[in-house]
Amino acid sequence: MAENDAPAAPAEAPQRPQIPGVIAPPAPDLKWMNAATERPPRVRELGPEGFTLAMADYGSYGLAPDIWPYENDTPRGAVPARDRGLPAPYTIYDKLDVWAESCAELYEAAIREQWKPATEISWSGIEPLAEHVEASLDQIYSNISEQAYNSNAVLLGWLQYISYGFHEVKLYLATQSFDHARHVEAFRKRALANGGGLGVQSPGFFNRTVFASFKFTEFVIYNNIIRTTFLLGLCEFGQEKLARSQADRQLFENTANDLRRHLVYGVEHLRYYGLQAGEQKRRNIRTWLDRGEVMLAADLKRDKPFREAVILASGDTVAAGKEALKDLRQRQFKRYIGALEAAAYRGREAHMVPTLKEMIETP
Amino acid sequence: MAVSQEMLAELRSEGEDLDLSWLDAPAAERGLRIAPGKRGLTLEEISTGTYGDIPMQSRNQSGRMRGAAPRGDAQQTQQMWPFRSSSWSQSAMLLYEEAVQRQWSSATDVPWAELPDLPEDLEYAMSQLCTFLTQVEFIAGDVPGQYAPNVSGEFFEVGLFLASQIMDEARHLDVFRKRALVNGIGLLQAGPGAVNLLTAQDFTEMASTLHLVGEGFVQSLFRMGEMFAQTEVDKRMFRLAAQDESRHVAFGVMHMKYVMETEPERRDEIHCYLDRMEGLLGAGSAQAGLTGGGETTEALAILLGGGSTEAQINEGYMKLMAIRKRQVNEYMHRLDVVGLGDRRQKMHPMMQMLLDPSKN
Repeated sequence: MAENDAPAAPAEAPQRPQIPGVIAPPAPDLKWMNAATERPPRVRELGPEGFTLAMADYGSYGLAPDIWPYENDTPRGAVPARDRGLPAPYTIYDKLDVWAESCAELYEAAIREQWKPATEISWSGIEPLAEHVEASLDQIYSNISEQAYNSNAVLLGWLQYISYGFHEVKLYLATQSFDHARHVEAFRKRALANGGGLGVQSPGFFNRTVFASFKFTEFVIYNNIIRTTFLLGLCEFGQEKLARSQADRQLFENTANDLRRHLVYGVEHLRYYGLQAGEQKRRNIRTWLDRGEVMLAADLKRDKPFREAVILASGDTVAAGKEALKDLRQRQFKRYIGALEAAAYRGREAHMVPTLKEMIETP
Repeated sequence: MAVSQEMLAELRSEGEDLDLSWLDAPAAERGLRIAPGKRGLTLEEISTGTYGDIPMQSRNQSGRMRGAAPRGDAQQTQQMWPFRSSSWSQSAMLLYEEAVQRQWSSATDVPWAELPDLPEDLEYAMSQLCTFLTQVEFIAGDVPGQYAPNVSGEFFEVGLFLASQIMDEARHLDVFRKRALVNGIGLLQAGPGAVNLLTAQDFTEMASTLHLVGEGFVQSLFRMGEMFAQTEVDKRMFRLAAQDESRHVAFGVMHMKYVMETEPERRDEIHCYLDRMEGLLGAGSAQAGLTGGGETTEALAILLGGGSTEAQINEGYMKLMAIRKRQVNEYMHRLDVVGLGDRRQKMHPMMQMLLDPSKN
């Protein structure tokens, strides 16, 4: 046999990494490369607002089902693992319990519109005010800060119950809680920045009601409809009648802008719930509104420091301040009824609980 | 500083029905005039006077914010943790402010338009990695979220930090989902996920399992994104995510350090949480294995090796070992910082093998 006829030595197989006891990876399997999921188009052009969630969630990736079928953290559009591990503590699997059509857009808008209280408020431009005016403003700011903390704490607690398939909702709610956090600190900072301090805590009826929500839609009605409309009314009023400085105006304006997003979520969710829920569940809306209104009225009635602070901070005389307080209540009422009508829940004006009506008419 | 008696008398003469006791004798400290510093008006700057007195223990169960005047008729909840040590982290204020300043947008701060086309195996591998990451990232939001209702207004900075972390986790779910969907591949195979982290029954347990271990390992991975990211777009994505994770890990480390300093009797209890996370109980989470499941490991090996031939995958696995080694050593460093250096002897043997020798 000629030398060059000798059989070739077998090609040396690549050495598999072997680190005893730590890693001895199996031969590549790569089945995941054939996962039966949708192939979206390659994104070549971005929109004016960049690569948004709505743009990314193409085709089936964007379809939130009426009932999410997986109990773990399977992302929508992925192939679920054969071994799904421990079912999560999620309890909300029905779309109607959390959904709002524009969650993805609200999420991106919230990120675009985030503001930075430490550096984007004109803190240095706040001039000293008469003591009773500063104390009154601080009382109002303390109240807003406290409400925002309550909203933040309770909202964050709900995330663990919302199943992973409704990721737009979870993402949007994360932005809302971050908004609440910034409202907590921004108004606290303002109360401490100009010769004042915090005021008296609120009576807390409404805070407790938010805490005690048994259902997520109930929470949304209390937090994103009732509280948000009344706070939004206050911020819009505040821009015109309370603000004494550029910083005050910025705080009210920025907060109002955030609250409008929270209200859109609340209105859209309530509308969706009202349309999709059966008769039995739809009746819950009235029960929740009744309860929320009663508790809000209890706060408004018993919160003498807040009421007097609005009077002192918004008028040159006590009489003018009292008129301004009436104006505030009317704005809040209109915001509230307007939100319910936008959610296709009409006729509430005639059915509002008497105690809240009383606080609106004779604050 | 109360309102002058003359002014009160004048106001009362104008409005006889006004009470004004809240102005007459304010129960909260007044007279602060706090100017912004170099970083603006931060939480640290307003944490002064009585407003900076963070109690070791509080019976405030009413929703009152620290420093605000209490009401006699305030209703209680019995939901809030009374002890500072239950949730406190010395860095909460600083990290919250940093989080606010360093927010970024997955829509506009990642240069998606510049993403080049990659060989198909690398695109698939990146989509698989991002399927894993988008799966686990919001679990890291659900976990701290469950404790927010228990954080009293006395310790509100913790509640604010948790909100910032959850915002970050939302962006991470979002950015990795977008990365999987941008390149024409889409999401691929989900793994067993990270639901186990939701079993934490205590905030310190959460800080041990989520911050010290889970997020710490992810942070190390992201910081080594330069090794496996194939494009500048991907490198930027991992850099941005890593900077967020650093805050979360720092929060947890400082909480654990505080607990170890103030409640040293909890040492053995905390080792139990770490035993579970490292896989020493034989079930549940297994950080002693490679990060993620088999699919993610293969995807990382392909990305690190630059392709899917057997030789490339083997090279990728060797590089993955370097990442793994760094993850374990950075974990050990965190343990040293919080005062749990004795973990070195108790660590899962498969992790111990990757430890550098102790410097002591």
